[in-house]
Formats: sequence, C-alpha cells, structure tokens
Amino acid sequence: MSVINYGQLLQLAWPEIILTVAALIALAADLLFFRQSALRTRFLVAASIASIGCIAAIFKLLPGSSEGMLLGGVFLSNPATHLVQIALLVIAILTLFLSVDSTFTDHVGEFVLLILLATTGMMFLVASQDLLVIFISLELLSLSVYILAGFDKRSSRSAEAALKYFLFGGMSAAFMLFGFSLLYGFSNSTNLVQIASAIHAVPLNPLVILAIVTTVIGFGFKIAAAPFHFWAPDVYQGAPTPSAAFIASGSKVASFFIFFQVLVIGFAGAEGSATLHHFQSGWVPVIVTVAVASMLLGNLVAITQTSLRRLLAYSAVAHAGYMLLAYVAHSEQSLAALLYYVATYALATLGIFGILTVTEKQLGNDKISDLAGLSRRAPFLSACLFIFVLSLAGIPPLSGFFAKFLLFTAVLAVSPGSKLLIGLIIFAIGMSAVSLYYYLRVLKSAFVADPPADATPIQSPMLLQLVVGLLAAGVVALGCAPDLILNQILKVIHASGL
Amino acid sequence: MNWIVRNLWLIPALPLFAAGISALAKQKNRALAAGLAIGSMGISFLLALCAFAHVLVLRSSGQATQQVFNFPWFQFGNDWLSLGWVLNPLTAVMLVMVTFVGLLIFIFSVGYMEHDENFTRFFCFLALFASAMLGVIISNSLLLLFMCWEIVGLTSYLLIGFWYFKPSAAAAAKKAFITTRIGDLPFFLGIVWLYSQTGTLLFYNNGAGCLEPTAITHLLSQTTAIGVCVATGIALLIFCGAIGKSGQFPLHVWLPDAMEGPTPVSALIHAATMVAAGVFLVARVYPLMSAHNGIAGMLTTSTALQAVTWIGAITALFGSLVAVAQFDIKRILAYSTVSQLGYMMMGLGVGGVAVGMFHLITHAFFKALLFLGAGSIIHGCSGEQDIRRMGGIRKLMPITFLTYGIAMLALCGFPLFSGFWSKDEILHAAHHWNISQAPYYMGAFAALLTAFYMTRQVFYVFAGSSRLTEEVTDASHAAAHTDAHAADHHHGSSAIHESPAVMTVPLALLSVFALLLGFFGTPAWPWFQSFLDDSPLAVNFGAFGEGGILPVMLISSVIVFLGLGLGWWFYGRKPIESAVAPDAVGKLSPPIFTVLGHAFYFDAFYGATFIRLNTLLSKISDWLDRWVWSGAVKTITSLVFGFAHLDNFLDTNVVNSGFDEGCEGVSLSGQILSRLQAGRVQGYLKIVAGALIVFTIVLLWKAKI
Repeated sequence: MSVINYGQLLQLAWPEIILTVAALIALAADLLFFRQSALRTRFLVAASIASIGCIAAIFKLLPGSSEGMLLGGVFLSNPATHLVQIALLVIAILTLFLSVDSTFTDHVGEFVLLILLATTGMMFLVASQDLLVIFISLELLSLSVYILAGFDKRSSRSAEAALKYFLFGGMSAAFMLFGFSLLYGFSNSTNLVQIASAIHAVPLNPLVILAIVTTVIGFGFKIAAAPFHFWAPDVYQGAPTPSAAFIASGSKVASFFIFFQVLVIGFAGAEGSATLHHFQSGWVPVIVTVAVASMLLGNLVAITQTSLRRLLAYSAVAHAGYMLLAYVAHSEQSLAALLYYVATYALATLGIFGILTVTEKQLGNDKISDLAGLSRRAPFLSACLFIFVLSLAGIPPLSGFFAKFLLFTAVLAVSPGSKLLIGLIIFAIGMSAVSLYYYLRVLKSAFVADPPADATPIQSPMLLQLVVGLLAAGVVALGCAPDLILNQILKVIHASGL
Repeated sequence: MNWIVRNLWLIPALPLFAAGISALAKQKNRALAAGLAIGSMGISFLLALCAFAHVLVLRSSGQATQQVFNFPWFQFGNDWLSLGWVLNPLTAVMLVMVTFVGLLIFIFSVGYMEHDENFTRFFCFLALFASAMLGVIISNSLLLLFMCWEIVGLTSYLLIGFWYFKPSAAAAAKKAFITTRIGDLPFFLGIVWLYSQTGTLLFYNNGAGCLEPTAITHLLSQTTAIGVCVATGIALLIFCGAIGKSGQFPLHVWLPDAMEGPTPVSALIHAATMVAAGVFLVARVYPLMSAHNGIAGMLTTSTALQAVTWIGAITALFGSLVAVAQFDIKRILAYSTVSQLGYMMMGLGVGGVAVGMFHLITHAFFKALLFLGAGSIIHGCSGEQDIRRMGGIRKLMPITFLTYGIAMLALCGFPLFSGFWSKDEILHAAHHWNISQAPYYMGAFAALLTAFYMTRQVFYVFAGSSRLTEEVTDASHAAAHTDAHAADHHHGSSAIHESPAVMTVPLALLSVFALLLGFFGTPAWPWFQSFLDDSPLAVNFGAFGEGGILPVMLISSVIVFLGLGLGWWFYGRKPIESAVAPDAVGKLSPPIFTVLGHAFYFDAFYGATFIRLNTLLSKISDWLDRWVWSGAVKTITSLVFGFAHLDNFLDTNVVNSGFDEGCEGVSLSGQILSRLQAGRVQGYLKIVAGALIVFTIVLLWKAKI
C-alpha cells in the first residue's frame, strides 16, 4: 500500500480545486452582493466568475502541465485526460453563457454552482482508473444534473423530468454498484488494471458476466443508449434549456470517455466475440446489441416526433449507437474517432439548444411545426440551425460528417474484412440515411414552410447570437479541417498510452 | 525562369478577383463594378504585353520560346495530378488579343449598358468570362483547360440569358448551354481516354507531357478495336468539343440564337473570343491532331485533320449561304461568324497552326468591330435590329459608318485589309492540299458570298433614307425584330443619334487593327507565321511569285470584287424604298431564299428528330420514375414508417402505459404526480431489468458452450 503524496495530489488536482473555489465564489458573490440586482446581471456576473475559473483551470491543463498517477490510477493526470477535461470546461463555459438570458430561476448562484460541481465531477470521472473514484465522481455528476434537470421549480414538467431522471439514475447506479462490488469481490481490487488481470480467464466466470452486464447498464444509462434511454426524452423536454444542453453535451463527453476506459482497461481480456460462428461471451456482444438497438430505436422513433427536444433526445440515442461502434473496435484510432465524434456532437447539440432558448421563449414551445418560417424571422439563427442540424445528419463538409467518416473507417481498420464490422457499418450508414429524413424535416419547417401570418422578427440577445455563431463556426471549421484536433487527439492518446 | 512565366496565373486571376468583388457588391455600385472589370482587364493586358515581350526576347536571343510552369495539385492513388500553365508564342498572341479586345469591349459596354439596372451583374459576368477565357489560353493541362472551358460555357449561358425576363433569351441561353454540352461530352471522353493512355494531362512537361513526342509515338502505336489509331480517336473526340464551342456544323445552331444577349456580349464572346476557343483548342493540341503514322516529311494528312478540314469547309459555306437571307443585323453577323470559324478550322486543317490562328486573330478584331458597330447602330436606333427598317444611318452616325465600313471590307477580304491576307492564306493552303480540291472551291465560293452579304447589309443599313418608322409585316421575319435592347432602353425618342465617345473610341481603335493587322502576315513578311512556328523570318517580296500565291491572290481579289459588285447590283443600284419591299435576291427564287432564311431548317430538323426522341425518352424515364422506382421507394418508405409507428407505439403506450395524459391535463397534485411518476419509471425499469436478464442469460448460456 503506497502512501498518498498530498503535495502531488494538490499539484495534480489544481484544476478541480480552482473550479470548486470558483463555484463557491460565484455562489457567495451572487448571494451576498447581487441578490437585488436584475436577473440578467446576476447571471452575467456569476457566469463570468465561473468562466474565469474554468479558463484558469484550462490554463492549468494546457500541454506542458504536470502529469502523474496517484496510487496506481486512483487519480491520474495525463495528456488524454487533460484534453477531455479542457473540452468539458469549454462546454461548461458555453453552457453558462447560453443561460445568461434565461428567466427560469431566481437561484442564479446555485445554478452556476451546480454546473461547476457537475463539471468538477466529470473532471474527476475522466481522471481515474479506480472503480471507487469513478463511482463517486459519477454520483457527484449525476446528483448535480438531477437537480439541474429540475431547476425550473415553477414548471411541473421540469420537476417530473428530474424525478424520473433521478429514479432511473438511482436504479442504474445501483446496478453499476452491484457490478462493481462483484468485480471487487472477484479481484480484491478496485483498480481497473488489476481487475482485468483477475477476470480474463476463458470461459468467463458467471459473476464476471453479471458484472459486465450491470456495468453496461449503469453507463448505458449515462450515455442514453437503448434500452436504457427512457429518461432522455422526458429530461430533454422537461429540463430548463441550459440544463438540458449541459446534460446532452458535457455529461455525454465524460461518460463516453470513461465508459471506454472501463471496458477496455477494466475488462481487457473479457471482450468476447460477437460473430455468429465464433460467439464468445464478453462485453463486445453486449455492446453490439446495445449499439444496434440504439441506432434502430433512436432513428426510427425520432421520425415520429413533433417536439424538437424529443427529436434531439432520440437522435442522441441514435448517435450513442454510432459511437458505441468505437467500443466494438476498441483501438487507439477508434478512441480518437470517438472523442472527435462526441466533441463535435456536443458542439452541434449545444448550438441547437442555444437556438431553442430563443425560439421557445418567443414561440412558447418547441414544436417543430412552430419553427415555420424561422429563416425569415431570425435569419442568423436559422443559418446556424442549418449548420448544426446538417452536421448531426452527417453532411460534408461539416464536422458531423467527418466524425462519422473517421469513426467508421477506424472501426473497419481494426480487422479489415470482418463481416460483423462491415455489417454494423452498413447498418449504421443505412440508419444515417434514415436520420436525414427527420433532420431535414426540422430544416424544412424552418426554411421552406411559410411563417404564420402574424409573425414578427424574432429578437435574440447579442451574447447568445455570439455563442451560437461561435459554435457554428466551430462545427464548420472542425469539418473543413478535421486535422485541427484529430492529430492532437491521436497524439495525446498515444502519449497517454491508452 | 522569368517572373512573368511564374506569375502568368495573374492574368486570369485579376479579372476573377474583379468578378468576385463585384459579385459581392450591391447593385448600385456601378462605377465600382465597371472600374474593377476594366482596371483588372487593363492590368491583365499589360501583363499579357509583358508575356508577349518575354517571348519576343527569348526568340531574339535564340532560346526555346516555350516555357512551362507546372505544380502538383493533389494526389490520388500513387499519382500526382499536376496543373500548370505554358507560355509560348500561341499563348502570348492569344493573351494579347483577348485582353486587348476584351478591354475595348468592356469600355464599350459602359456606354452600351448604361441604362441597364443590372449593370453590376453584367460586369461581374464579363470579368468572370474573361478570366475563364484567359485560363483556357494559359493552361498547360487539358484538365485545367477543360475546367476553364466549362466556366466559359457557363458565363456564356449567363450572358446570353442576361435579359432572362425575355423567354427567347432564356431559351437561347439554354440552347447554347445544352448544345455546347453535347460537344463537351465527347471532349471529356477524349480527355479520359488520353489520361488512361498517357497517364498525364499536362501538355508539355520536359518530355513527359501528352503532346510531346514520347506520348504521341505511344498513342500512334496503339490501335483501337475498330481499326482507328488511338491518337486519331482521341483527336476526333477532342475536336467534338471544338465543334460545339466554335459553332461548327452540325452543332452551329446555338450561335445565331446566342445573339439574344447584349451586343457587347455577342462581340466579346460569340465573335471574338469564346467561339475562337474551339479553334484555339485544335491549335493547342495540334501535335496530337496532326499525328500520323506516315513517314516524316511526306505529304500525309492525319485523319483528324481531314475531319477538321471538311467540317470547316462545310461550315464556311453553310454559314455564308444562310447569312445571305437574314434580316436581323446581328444574325447576319452571327452566321458570318459561323462561316469564318469554318475558315479557321479549314485553315488549321490544310495549312497548320499559323494559318488558322492568323485568321482567328484578324477575325477577332474586325468581327468585334462589326459587332460593336452593330451595337452602336442598335443603340442609336433605340433597339431596332431589323436591317429592313434601318437605312440612311451613314449620315447620322458617321464614325460608326466609317469603322463599320472598314470592318466590313476586312471581313470581305478586300485587298490589303487584314482579312484579305489571312483569308487568302487559307485559300492558298487549301489550293495546295494534297487530299482534295473541294475545300478550296467551297472556301472560294464562301468568300464570294461573304462579300455579297456584307455589301447587302451595308446598303440596307447605311444607304438611302431611314425606314425606322415603318412597320414590318412580313410574318416570317417578324422574329427578327427583337426589342432586346429596347427592353432596358429608356431613350424614349426614336431619333437616331451617334453613340457617345465611350463607344466610338473603342470602335476607332479596333478599326485601326482591322486595317493594319494583316501586314504582320503577308507572304512577303510572314512575321506572324514564323513567330508561331518558331521559324526564321526574312523579308522577301519575291515570295508573292512563288508557290502560286499570286494567282490565288488575284483570284480571291476578283471574287471579292465580284461579290461586292453583285451586292451593289442588287441593293445599291437603286435605293431601298420601303421596309416591306421584298428582298432583291429573294425575288429571284423565293423558295430557296426561304430555305436559306430558315438556315436550312436545321432547328426544325433537330426539333423533329433529336429533341422529339429526347422528349420521348424523358417521358419514358418519367413514367419509370413515377411508377416503377417511386413505387419501390414508396413501398420501402411505408415499411419503415410502419415500423417507426409500431416502435413509437410500443415506446409511448406500452412502456409509458398511458402516463402522458395524466401529467399533462389533470392535476398538479404532487401525490398523484408521484404515484404516476413511479408507475412510469417502473415501466422503464422493468425494461432495464429485462435487458439485464436477457443479456446475462445469453452470455451465460453461450459461455457454457
């Protein structure tokens, strides 16, 4: 048993500490000094303080910052975790500024605090290879976002969504904890590497199989993969827009990353095989099933949605299905492609939620049909919507296309000629074609349909336009020059030995 | 390497830049658009002069006059696709001609288009056109040439249809685009074939280019399945592109209709430069065109060049025949252009690059002058284009008359005018052609007709007294009276007036060249020919007497005088009194005149055959699409939809078990809500638990096996 070096822990945990302090300052400033100010001012002040904290944390994470590993993986700090953490912080900043013009709550300080705490949770989550820390930080994240989902206390829908989210999440956490306890019992360790060395005997022990399934269920809930997605439509629809945006973007990025780590490191040797002739128990068959179910269900059910938020929820399920293919491949390239995919997906989703904050306020709901004539009522936002939606649909040259392209090629590159992989990719591409239908329905409503007779131009705050514009520019830029971050991702993954 | 070779790309890039800026500018920024277009063209002209001077310097210092600059564009497979540009005498001459004529026409357009509300757009298109055309000229890669070639086609389409609100202009634009596309298809096939055979599309690349001896020898050594040499096959395919672009028989039909565009466009695109692109293409790939398996030095003409010659001769004769019976001033010039392009092709076929290119250059000047003169006349007559309703313009528009007269004599081939020298050279070469004498006789007869129809036009337009106020009742030619220009013309008065200086100065400048340019290529001092062929030059007045030049020259002079005399006999002897009086030649044989007036009914013939066939095919495709393919798609769609609905039904009804109504409508009571809520989540969780059980059982069961 090694001894914790507190100096080193402090050194490595600086970003998280900064973030927590910033969260407390934002809360205190809001409660002590700005109680009486206008809501927008409070949001602006709190978001600014929080953003300064986030930016300071980002500076601590830039290349060249200290790296290390505590207690064999309880807490680690390497280029890959830094990159993911920077992405999480950027998403947090963007979410904060998207919420500046919101009116759903008077508890600004608390809202910002929770966003930052959730971010802290995510940062710890991605920086650990230890079951215990993973579980605790996952709970920190989850509890924060449960509250965020129910933050609009005046809305019954928000409360309903939060409660559902909480119950569902609690149950999933129970499954996961059950699995984790089995793993601990089996390997006498909470360290992923040591677990892997203890469980990989073939055929797998039944208890290990149970642990695999419950772990998949626990993370499947976080990433909204079918059939563990039931909370998503309600939460996407009921939660306040900034919360929904945060749940749909930041929480996804962190969960996808750590899920990959747990499976690839913790269950190394227990992959199994999903091909019909050489079926072998392990996590790959489970992931394949979940991926196919997600793509099928997400895409098909999305077709019949009339609410844009619910449509986004089902599209998130579908995207989770695509991204799970990276797990099936579990190579260095596929992890890089996964990170690129989830980052660009987060940008586009954030952008659409940003637009929703404006349209919902003025149109009263998020019905796709009510977007009619948006291109004439809010040309700039419509143009951005166009970019985001087409990126989600995977149209070149937007980043969504390259994300899919890279992901699929990375998957195929793992074992060229594998019938299973080729079949999965063909299925995914077919499902992408289906998804085009419902994505284009959104654009058709915004660009082709005539606005209602009494329509007036939609006013949107400058700050929001700026954030949405930045996101759109990011989506286009990453699509036109995917090398911008892909090379970086590959480099850090390599440097971190993942 | 000189900087001009490296920076040759600037010449097309500057007008492109101007086009880009004016495309973004607002409609009202007229001065900006015109200034940018003219300024960029002016700079390009100066650069073109530099390039020309550079070639001259190289030549005088005895170095190779051909310099290329190639660069890799992108990689596919293991091959790099390279593009590049080439500076040689051919390029230099064409660059100077296009930039200079283009510049003058741009300036002229400022006056001509001043009343048009889309002035900015017009200059944007003009500059884009000029850029593409210059790109065609400098390309050292067949691919780059083809890309620019297509942009040229696009701008031509945009400019013919510039007055798109007129259905005739829209139709003409479409016709031009589609007809030239028919030629471009084989052209593209030729490019692909050439690439598959030689592995490069660069013309010149230090011995590895597709026009250099290694590649040509390789192409000649291959034979296709039908017994034609590969070089011939490729050359003929590429020539198809030239047929379309240069309005050669049988794809000439679009060129007369293209006169629906504004007159400066007709001058720039459909007389001086774009239509010459086809001729230029043949000249550019001449090593391929002329490649044959005969013994070097023997008088053998390749199959491709024979095709070029015959097509050219037929076109020359055809165009001049039809021009005799037209009444629209621009259509006469259009058919005249068709005919002259035929001459150029014939010149390339029988005499080589220099012969055809010389006529191209001289023709560019005097035909641009003719079109601008016609534009000036139309401008002065407030949009009238029917020559029967003109008359008496000589006194009213003296400068226009003078310059038009010079251009007309140059076109006719009046001795000592530029057209005389260039046309005569073609006829001389045709006379000595080793295959057949027929092209010579066809060319000579076309020359006679050219002199005749130009005389007819000039007498109609300039002589006598004005007939502008009379009505034309002849139904068959009512179409000739198009209000193309009047459409945007707000003069409001029908008084004929001389055009402003911005229009007459370019006319005067061009007429100087129409007069004098020929002296650069006389048999006694064939500077132009030696420049293009890179052969030694000497002043030799004795050359007139050698090789039967003098007799041919005399015969062609006699022909010209005969044509002018006939024209005077029919139209000049007694003034044309009335706009409704029948045509003097038409009276001789009305049926033939009608056939000529309808251009041998080619449009009707195409309409009854190809277009009808096409309509039939499209109807069949429509039917297939509507019933067969669409049926299949609809079946799949409804299957997917059905599945989606089923899925959604399961998700909302079975899983959510009718909860939604509860929370929406009824009560917000926390107790009820929580109870319903719990019920619902239970449903959710049941599924999760089911998944757990299924997964575990499957894995366990399989693990046992």
